[in-house]
Amino acid sequence: MENLESLLHGFTIAVTVPHLTLMVVGVLLGILVGVLPGLGAPNGVSLLLPLTFGMQPVSAIILLSSMYWGALFGGSVTSILFNIPGEPSSVATTLDGYPMARDGRPTTALATAFGSAAFGALVGVILITFLASWVAQVALAFGPPEYFAVYFLAFASFVGMGGAAPIKTVVALGIGFAIAAIGIDTVSGSVRLTMGIDELVKGVSFVVAVMGLFGIGELLIAVEEEFSARAVSSRVDWKEVFRALGRLPQHGIALLRSAAIGCWMGITPGGPTAASFMSYGIAKRFSRSGARFGTGEAEGIVAPETADHAAGTSALLPMLSLGIPGSATAAVMMGGLMIWGLNPGPMLFVDQKDFVWGLIASMYLGNIVAVALVLLTVPVFAALMRIPFAVIAPLIVIICVVGAYSVSNSYLDVVLMLGFGLVGYLFKKLHYPLAPLVLAIVIGDKAEDAFRQAMLMSKGSLGIFFANGLVTTLVLAGMALLLLPLALQLLHLSRKPGEAAHERVRII
Amino acid sequence: MISRRALEIAAAALTGIFGVVVIISSIDNGIGWSSAGVDAGTFPFLTGVIIVLGSLYNVAHGALGRGTLANVRIAITATEVRRLAGLFVPAAIFVAVIPLLGMYLASAGYVFAVLALPRRQPVLRALVIGAATPLALYIVFERMFQVSLPHGALAAAFGF
Repeated sequence: MENLESLLHGFTIAVTVPHLTLMVVGVLLGILVGVLPGLGAPNGVSLLLPLTFGMQPVSAIILLSSMYWGALFGGSVTSILFNIPGEPSSVATTLDGYPMARDGRPTTALATAFGSAAFGALVGVILITFLASWVAQVALAFGPPEYFAVYFLAFASFVGMGGAAPIKTVVALGIGFAIAAIGIDTVSGSVRLTMGIDELVKGVSFVVAVMGLFGIGELLIAVEEEFSARAVSSRVDWKEVFRALGRLPQHGIALLRSAAIGCWMGITPGGPTAASFMSYGIAKRFSRSGARFGTGEAEGIVAPETADHAAGTSALLPMLSLGIPGSATAAVMMGGLMIWGLNPGPMLFVDQKDFVWGLIASMYLGNIVAVALVLLTVPVFAALMRIPFAVIAPLIVIICVVGAYSVSNSYLDVVLMLGFGLVGYLFKKLHYPLAPLVLAIVIGDKAEDAFRQAMLMSKGSLGIFFANGLVTTLVLAGMALLLLPLALQLLHLSRKPGEAAHERVRII
Repeated sequence: MISRRALEIAAAALTGIFGVVVIISSIDNGIGWSSAGVDAGTFPFLTGVIIVLGSLYNVAHGALGRGTLANVRIAITATEVRRLAGLFVPAAIFVAVIPLLGMYLASAGYVFAVLALPRRQPVLRALVIGAATPLALYIVFERMFQVSLPHGALAAAFGF
């Protein structure tokens, strides 16, 4: 019951006028970046990051996390009303959401989506409330080898469960690690991988990478597909909202199953995008109405939305208690934590109780605020979509340029950002996953430090990763995940030769 | 027109070259084990090797055209290339002139040019948006958050 006491204390921090205002501002900005194609949660959060440097860490994280919730909801709005996923994680929502809206039931589709999203988020927050401090307590006993093993497990789960081609994921992770290594090596003090460019000594900020990969990259994808908005009616019928919410319990099993999938994918860093697709696929296979999926079935909205939000929320659990972000946006937030001078990981629960529990309490409130605000503002943001893309695109370019510049007032960062934009486009086009790339940039240094400290302890013997039960289990689990795609492919080949790999999932 | 195959091979070649650069550069830092522990270059060296091996696999995979989305022959059509260039080239020019013109002038010019020149928008509207953009940047960054954006060599020459 200690957790509940801490949570109540957290509410006394979160329920103050300034923090509630920040929540509203964050959620509205989040819906905005969620609705606009080309701007998503990861770069929305990175854009705000430089502006939070002067704030209290708890206020800053409330602002950023609220923006994350808003972006998750905003992405669903455009998926349903325009058949344009504002966020990669809401692609699966278009499959049944848009047909239902086109059928003349936009309010039902929106209310079903928001209701199940709120349920998924709630399950995620409850999980964090009861599990995070316990995980942190276990992690307090971790030494460098255990930490490296946990990082290894996180990276391996991207390869094994991320949904993209495994070798492409490995390459993306490797590139992230290499980018993280650019600059001064914290252990030896020597300068690495600067290729003779002096300005690179300070390293490459993940904000710059995110701005380019997600911002410019997404914009290029959007312009290529010649995006045009054909909206269905965006008027919200309030009576139908409550009727649709009332019908949600009928999908109880789908809700619980999708929430479980989402939480699992959020904690093991599979991310919200993979979670929503997996949940949709499983629902289609097991649901009684599965055959009608794709024609506007309520359960086809419930499944991806619940999993998306459960994953997005629970992605903060490993970030807080282990220092390993479960999604690209969580990785950006964790980068923020480090910039604010906090050390993400188990010590947060000892040293920064106010920060941790203030954040957790704000997650309960933030999601309620988000549901209310998104329903109220649907017509406003839907109208925004009617602004021609030709006008929005250059403005987003400017936002990304200024965002990259403001990280450390460096022009080189702007040029790098543009370069990352091309890489982001190419990677997205060819289904290289971007989330592990960002994750590796943010925590690559920490993983390397853990590895080198472990090696110092063991005087260079890899045997330290099999020294005790815990670390051995973690390493073996990681290896199993790495080999999972191979095993699946062999199984698949032995059954159905010829149609081996299908790229089912569009991955960020 | 760019085929899916060519694009896959080009991307894998790019990542492979990046991997080779990482390997060469990290050998300078020293790899292996010394009295101070694991040398600074070791970890980057290993990631470089992984990148190169993965890229080789992706090149082969792309060249054979097996597996992923093999049925999509053409990845980018000529019209799509034109649309991509239409967004990226002006953006690159915008970034290139920032050191000279500064963020405010460059962004105003960029927005105006992109909106007015292809005649997608009326000139007056383009002018208004072009003027409003730097103003908004100034208010948000220079005033509200005290982040100074580059004013450019031209402004410096006039003493700003």
